[in-house]
Amino acid sequence: MEGQHKHPIWAKLVGYAAFCVVILILPLFITDDYLLNKLARYLVFGLVAMALSISWGYAGILNLGQAVSFGLGSYCMAMALKLRTIPIQTGAEGLPDFMVWNNVKSLPWFWEPFHSYGFAIAAGVLVPTILALLIGTFVFRARVTGVYVSIITLALLVVINLVVIDRQRLTGGFNGLTDLAPLELFGLTFDPYAHATYYLIAVSLGAALFLGLAVVHSKTGLIMQAIRDDENRVRYFGYDVAAYQTFALCLSAAVAGFAGMLYTLVMAFASPTFLAVPVSLSIVIWSAVGGRASLLGSAMGAIIVTGVQGSLSDTPAFLETWTLIMGALFIIVVLFLPRGLISLVDRIPLGGSARRRAAAATGAASRSGINAG
Amino acid sequence: MPARAVATTGAILELRDITVEFAGFVAIAGLTLDVHEGELRCLIGPNGAGKTTALDVICGKVKPASGKVVLGGREITRLEEHQIARHGVGRKFQVPSVFRDLTVRQNMEVALCRAPGVLGNLFRFGNSGASEQLEKLAELVGLEEAMDVAAGALSHGQTQWLEIALLLAQDARLILMDEPTAGMTAHETAKTAELFNRLKGRHTLIVVEHDMGFIKEISDIISVMHQGRLLAEGTVREIETNAEVRAAYLGSGGISGA
Repeated sequence: MEGQHKHPIWAKLVGYAAFCVVILILPLFITDDYLLNKLARYLVFGLVAMALSISWGYAGILNLGQAVSFGLGSYCMAMALKLRTIPIQTGAEGLPDFMVWNNVKSLPWFWEPFHSYGFAIAAGVLVPTILALLIGTFVFRARVTGVYVSIITLALLVVINLVVIDRQRLTGGFNGLTDLAPLELFGLTFDPYAHATYYLIAVSLGAALFLGLAVVHSKTGLIMQAIRDDENRVRYFGYDVAAYQTFALCLSAAVAGFAGMLYTLVMAFASPTFLAVPVSLSIVIWSAVGGRASLLGSAMGAIIVTGVQGSLSDTPAFLETWTLIMGALFIIVVLFLPRGLISLVDRIPLGGSARRRAAAATGAASRSGINAG
Repeated sequence: MPARAVATTGAILELRDITVEFAGFVAIAGLTLDVHEGELRCLIGPNGAGKTTALDVICGKVKPASGKVVLGGREITRLEEHQIARHGVGRKFQVPSVFRDLTVRQNMEVALCRAPGVLGNLFRFGNSGASEQLEKLAELVGLEEAMDVAAGALSHGQTQWLEIALLLAQDARLILMDEPTAGMTAHETAKTAELFNRLKGRHTLIVVEHDMGFIKEISDIISVMHQGRLLAEGTVREIETNAEVRAAYLGSGGISGA
């Protein structure tokens, strides 16, 4: 805490806006579609890390099942796209290919509504949100806290992952959902290498950052932070702590589900590996490295870590050692910057706030208040 | 002792025949206590008398095995903590607990619980017109220069003051204080006494305290607890000369030395 400046809200807004401008003008300087696709993926990771920051950084809920929301969102989008794919063997009105291979005779009931894009997109957000609502209600009403919440969410992730892999006839199993048609919406085609896809993701991330900023600066956001500090004390001021915790978990799940849908667009498939423990743990690492108590910090943490990871693993010299280097980086950041890379920015003194402090000090002195302590 | 009829005494708070057990250990055994509106009641007693547990029962932290808690004519015994808080009960714990990562101003905004709903509060920004009220409170407890300081950076004494400011911001009808002067200097204790005397009348206070000097400064009526029951009730003079109270404190240097 000491030696840090709490930046005023306008400074944050400028920072967030600058970030949005940068990600929006980046495609102007990139001619390589493959690189653009990679960047789009990093931005999706930024979005899902930002989502974790809402629950972990602000409300103190370390959700190790974040990949559940991400994966479910991804599958919702993939199911809609799979139904738009014309199967080679069975023709236009035929079943998706993997169902044919698994001797499924007719489309399972829960696949039916995914013929509609509107339904699929709503489901990609609502399914994770409703699941979070259920989990949150049970866990937080029972006053489960801290590491036990993490264990429960992690266990849930493992269970859902196993179910998805096991129900191959319905979910595509270990192979996931592949061979997807590109999303066509508003006359645009969102294939993985299209500029439209990149812009959709960049605009989504920007919008989510600003909406998230509005939430964490609202009174609800303040109560969430108070709960993170001392949840029992909040209770005795008359707030229903479980309701606030459940809200944080749901909002985080909704954003992560949306990120999952975007990830399907940028990868052109959905896989049980999206809905697995390594993804969940990666999200935690991204958020921790960037700064879990900052939405922008978490997003940038994801982009930086996955960016460095991508370039290291592409460089022949680091082919064998890149995971080691990433591990070392993580340890260094956690040891020396426990509030993440964003705390470096927080240390920059702003002319404005310094002036304000000086003015406040003289103002207080002239009022000659009593001095306690 | 059979439970008497409720709401006949005109008291704001009525405890009726409260019993609390922790895994076989009886912490409170049939406690009955009335506190009247605007009163400042001190609750004293030797260690283990059940004073803090009594406060826990009132604010809902501990649910009694039997008995009734009635606040302003409404039974609150089985309500959850936040519901009891919404009925106008504020609590200060023995260990200072403030929100360390939030600034003093933010701490007070949390305490100012006008609308407790999640969704309504999503559209509430800043302190919605209460800024002046918060500044005044900060001035009252001498924290006006520290409004934008993180609470974790305050001294022990300042933290105690912030907690009192939080209770005032919460504006509870009934304020429960557990050893508010613990760890305070003589000067700070005197200032706290002055503040409490100002609160009397507008708020109803129950204060668990050991410092007899402080109690004499603030209290009208003292309730003495011993072994989970009410032992005696009366003015400072009456309590100091009460034979039963002397016996209860025997071996611990008498009431003034406790």
